[in-house]
Amino acid sequence: MRVVIAEDAAVLREGLARLLGDRGHEVCAAVADAEALRAAVAGHAPDVVIADIRMPPTHTDEGLRAALAIRRDFPSTGVLLFSQYIETRYTSRLLQAGTGGVGYLLKDRVGNVADFVSALERVAAGGTALDPEVISELLRRPDPGLASLTPREREVLALMAEGRSNSGIAGKLVMSEGAVEKHIASIFGKLSLEAESADNRRVLAVLRYLRA
Amino acid sequence: MDGIWRVTATLLRAPFTRRARQDLGFCLIGAITGAAGFIVVTVVLVPALVISVSIVGTVVGLLLVVAAIGIARLLAALHRRALRLATGERVTAPAPFRPGAGLLGRLDQRLRDRDGWRAVGYTGVKLPLAVAEGYAITAVGIGLVDFVYPLVWLLFRNHSAGTRLGPLIAVAPAPGGHWAIETLPGTLAASLAGVICVVAGVWLARMLIAVDARVMRFMLGPSRVSELERTRAIAVEDAAAALRRVERDLHDGAQVRLAAVAMNLGMAQERTGDETLRDLLDAAQSGVSGALADLRRIARGIHPPALDSGLADALASLAATSPIPAQVRVELPQRPSQAIETMAYFCVAELLANAIKHSSANSIEIIIDKERPESLRVRVTDDGTGGAEPARGTGLAGLAQRASTVDGKLHVSSPPGGPTTVAVELPMRVRGGGI
Repeated sequence: MRVVIAEDAAVLREGLARLLGDRGHEVCAAVADAEALRAAVAGHAPDVVIADIRMPPTHTDEGLRAALAIRRDFPSTGVLLFSQYIETRYTSRLLQAGTGGVGYLLKDRVGNVADFVSALERVAAGGTALDPEVISELLRRPDPGLASLTPREREVLALMAEGRSNSGIAGKLVMSEGAVEKHIASIFGKLSLEAESADNRRVLAVLRYLRA
Repeated sequence: MDGIWRVTATLLRAPFTRRARQDLGFCLIGAITGAAGFIVVTVVLVPALVISVSIVGTVVGLLLVVAAIGIARLLAALHRRALRLATGERVTAPAPFRPGAGLLGRLDQRLRDRDGWRAVGYTGVKLPLAVAEGYAITAVGIGLVDFVYPLVWLLFRNHSAGTRLGPLIAVAPAPGGHWAIETLPGTLAASLAGVICVVAGVWLARMLIAVDARVMRFMLGPSRVSELERTRAIAVEDAAAALRRVERDLHDGAQVRLAAVAMNLGMAQERTGDETLRDLLDAAQSGVSGALADLRRIARGIHPPALDSGLADALASLAATSPIPAQVRVELPQRPSQAIETMAYFCVAELLANAIKHSSANSIEIIIDKERPESLRVRVTDDGTGGAEPARGTGLAGLAQRASTVDGKLHVSSPPGGPTTVAVELPMRVRGGGI
């Protein structure tokens, strides 16, 4: 993957660059603010961008705004937002376009390198990668459809909403892919969602449902 | 003997000092502006008050009252300046007037302009002072004229014998204070009276300016209440800013370091084949995650990051985590000050938590809007069982107390059986604050 990193804390910026470099990915640019990020994306046309939400100069949500602009202007570049916080409001702004190629992870998640890199790869491939905390906030919403799910189905739904593929879910929950398929069919039935075959479209349908 | 000489010398020397000229200058300006100011303010204010009592003239009358207050404020600035030029003494001006929003709000704020009304009061108190100041000036003026009579006599009264001339008239600044002078020794007496007048006038001026300065400090300086309001506003906004700083420091400091530790632990985990070491790294990893989660919770309690993008975003995030469906509507044309935003946010957080805990409601509605131009209203309504009472220690009393630090008010309507609406009214910015 060709990656651009935007993160104002030097220790994280350099750490990420090294981590990705070690795994054979190309870090085209590592910048410290949203302005430089836009320039880098325009210049390098990377597969994916890792962007902190809070960056100079205002330290509010410039990373998010830059991400939305990049998704609009460079549809082939995925954006993974990388933040200390999960703000539900930011999640829904990010998902509004509803086309995939976006992610939102807590910075802690980089501790699990394999998981982090696979999330980044999903985003680069046009999928989604949402933090478990984002999903647990979305699932906390009172809803008769959600209430009718079994605990196991909830687990599957949460992992699916994070953006994982069937095989990813199967690996996490230690079950066969066939079992995962069955759970998903049941979930879609209970939530009265139209069955989708492609992973990504399925994830988007679930997210649409959760944000409704 | 020595003492008497010294006193006499001081008395007589006083008129020739710079200070005397400044005092007299102040008296001259004070007498004119004081009297004129009183007349203008009275001419505007009295009819205004009379008119405003009648139904028809209320608006015109109140506008005139506002005009009178405005004039009094301008005059106050003039008086403070005159005092500073004459004596170098600075009377601190009260905080500048901050108009309310909207026509009614504007009028209301104007009418309740405490410093403005004190300035109006001063124009009344200044009147006798102005008269006295005028008197001091007159005394000095008359004294100077009387003083030069011998010279006048010698220069202009050396006519040949037998010429009949009218007497010179000497004047004293007192009722019936004039007398005819027909001889040269008589003019010497007038001259002496002149000296007394000048000296007395100068000392009177000095005394009056001291009195006037005291009155000005009392009536034209910042009042104790407005001073306390100002400092309270500073304290409240400072506290809010300090908390934001703490949150930012956590975000840019400890949280970044811990995230970097998590990243390095992750990379170490990738590289080691040693089972025991991997377990240790796992334990370290989950410790770091726990610490980061703690910090996130603490930071959110200090200053929720989404508040930086405004109340609407922050409250939407808050409501999204509610297990009871919560709708948020924020209708504010402009953003309140930081301290008020923070307070409104935490009010909603607490009311929402209350509703979730006690109300057994099916839905909650959070509305922030403007009822009046200079204040905002936070309302949290649930369709639950009702019966919330501030006295029963449900945190409502604490909320009311917190709101009262910025003159906010809490209204609870919670009949048994519901619905419950708690409204918190907060000013858009802390009263007396600069911003």
